[in-house]
Amino acid sequence: MATYTYTPVPDQGAKAGVLAYLVISCVVLLLMMLFGLLMRMEQAQMISIGALWFYKIMTLHGAGMVGIVALAGAAIMWHFLRQYVDLSTGIFMANLILFLTGVVMILASVLLGDFHAAWTFLFPLPTTSMGMWSPGAAALFMGGLLVIGVGFVLLHLDIARAIISRYGGLGRGLGWPQLFGPDDGNAPPPAVVASTMVTIVNLIGLVVGASILVMMLINVYVPTFEIDALLAKGMIYFFGHVFINAVIYMAVIAVYEILPRYTQRPWKSNKVFLASWTASTIMVMFIFPHHLLMDYAYPKWFLIMGHIIGYLNTFPILIVTGYGAMMIVYRSGIRWDMCSRLLFVSLFGWAVGAMPAFIDGTITVNYVMHNTLWVPGHFHTYLLLGMVAMVFGFMYYLGKPNENAPDSALDVAAFWGFVIGTMGFTMSFLYSGKISAARRYAEHLPEWVPYDKIASYFAMLLIASVLVFIFRFLTRLGLASRDYQRASLARSMAT
Amino acid sequence: MIGTLSHYSGRSALALGVFYLLLATPIARDWLEASMSRHMLVQMPLLVVIGIIAARLVPGRMQDSLLIRLGGAWPCVIAALFASSYWMLPRALDAALTDPWAEAAKFLSLPFLVGFPLVLAWRRLTLIGRGFVWTNFFSMLAVLGWLYIVAPVRVCNSYLVNDQENAGWYMVIASVLLFFWWLGTLLVGGGVGPDKPDQSGSGRTFA
Ligand code: HEM
Repeated sequence: MATYTYTPVPDQGAKAGVLAYLVISCVVLLLMMLFGLLMRMEQAQMISIGALWFYKIMTLHGAGMVGIVALAGAAIMWHFLRQYVDLSTGIFMANLILFLTGVVMILASVLLGDFHAAWTFLFPLPTTSMGMWSPGAAALFMGGLLVIGVGFVLLHLDIARAIISRYGGLGRGLGWPQLFGPDDGNAPPPAVVASTMVTIVNLIGLVVGASILVMMLINVYVPTFEIDALLAKGMIYFFGHVFINAVIYMAVIAVYEILPRYTQRPWKSNKVFLASWTASTIMVMFIFPHHLLMDYAYPKWFLIMGHIIGYLNTFPILIVTGYGAMMIVYRSGIRWDMCSRLLFVSLFGWAVGAMPAFIDGTITVNYVMHNTLWVPGHFHTYLLLGMVAMVFGFMYYLGKPNENAPDSALDVAAFWGFVIGTMGFTMSFLYSGKISAARRYAEHLPEWVPYDKIASYFAMLLIASVLVFIFRFLTRLGLASRDYQRASLARSMAT
Repeated sequence: MIGTLSHYSGRSALALGVFYLLLATPIARDWLEASMSRHMLVQMPLLVVIGIIAARLVPGRMQDSLLIRLGGAWPCVIAALFASSYWMLPRALDAALTDPWAEAAKFLSLPFLVGFPLVLAWRRLTLIGRGFVWTNFFSMLAVLGWLYIVAPVRVCNSYLVNDQENAGWYMVIASVLLFFWWLGTLLVGGGVGPDKPDQSGSGRTFA
């Protein structure tokens, strides 16, 4: 049995590229959150932007949020992975440039071309607009997604290259020798294991996504090349679900890397940890059918598989990570600052956010709950209070002026504003789902409106708090690139 | 082995030449070109493989100097991409059947503009370049197969619709299998490239 001790490593500052990723993430996150607020206020009848703008904004919000959290997640992964393997800065920047190119294409398609078929571009909607947008606008949107996808393929290929040349194969990157053989304590660190998993699943997801996108692009111009709508939906959800799931697996690296620095306890890549990551590598590719449970035309075995694997995959990484974090923190005398608070609460958000999906993944529940606001309730919880909290935690870590720098009252208030705002906002989504408020409706029934109003106020609180986070990070950009001790040592260690 | 053609590679070259000529005989051509699946998925890949093996028989130093003269790895990859894309067009298949010049062009271009330059370039490509070529190839193959399956018309004058559909399905299946094979090589060790110090670079595996 391997023994683990903590070996202190210096806190490295971020490279300019990582900072560029993060600054762009801040700007886009904020803008997309404001778009989200506009949608919620429209549903609450507090403003009146009309259905066309609602759906245009919904398309931008969906595509923009998924893209930007992927970018922010990639920044976290790259920052820490670079400390173990030799990554290429050129490719990292190429991804950013391709990303921005794709964003411009998407913006043009939606704002100038009126495309508003949602980020899921479900076949055959993009091609059958009934005159609401042109084939060119649909092609521009899908082309934009394709360009963004190409950037991520390059990034993941570079990560695969680096992990293979350091460890000798992606299987070793997942720690298979230690998982299936004796644990000699030399398993790759959690950051490498997580990056390997993300790379494998994203490469598969992106190749599938590129295939359906190209096929739909052809279909836009030559509609007689008919696409099987069920197959298209399966492929789109496979790609979309893998991609958005991978985002949190990238961001969680911040938790693995930073929390141990506070308490000087190692995050172990032990057998249980490795097993859960390997299991999820496979399972994350088979859970997307929980979005398709209502499509009775799919073979039954396929839906049952979605149900069972959906149940199973909810837990391994989540439990291993949650339990691991508890072990790191328990009686460690950890000092809570903005970074450690946000990272810790992110695990809570992830766990809480997974539960509604677990419930909705049950076929009988799904018939009633899917396509209600229950679903946005689920993913906004785990993305906002989980994933986005990890990103802001990472930003506070990079910008912390020194080891013992106290947090201002404003920051602490913003932390609580963020937690309460997010909980209120997402609970209103969930509650609206419970009373059967349909998802993706620009206009709501009068019975639903009170919850939309409550949600809007909570969203305002949440956005105000995020403004503080972003402002703080931008004012500390100068510090973020320097190497110095940031984590405050736990009391037991410091005294 | 470096520098001169060894006895062993001399014999292999001879065998390869014989195989190449065999493929070009009317009997082999008639049989392989009688069905679209055999034409696209047996004959054409075999021609590419001939180019690949031919290039690997060339001594390492000569490969290097050839590569330099051709302008480096990327021009070779791009030439291969264009040449192979051309032979994915249904028109090109028809032409190869009816026009002897087109047939000759196929027999020359697939080995010498696709297989050969790819091998030359391959030694210099890192996993990023190789992965890019592979992932592009997999999705192109799958999409092309898919197009053949759902095409509303007969795309080749010389082949029947059901033949076209079969070829499409084989392409989709091949692309899925190849993709998983490639991922498998990454999982267990593979992906040799110039940045792997423990490999000569000529490549133990082809991933
Ligand atoms: C202040 C923060 C946010 C607000 C106010 C907000 C608001 C909304 C609203 C009102 C909807 C439409 C719900 C419906 O009626 O179907 C929505 C959908 C969505 N949101 Fe958010 N959101 C926020 C943050 C986020 C974040 C951080 C992410 C991702 C990381 C995200 C991803 C999505 C996605 C993917 C959709 C689905 C779009 C679709 O159905 O096509 N949102 N959001």
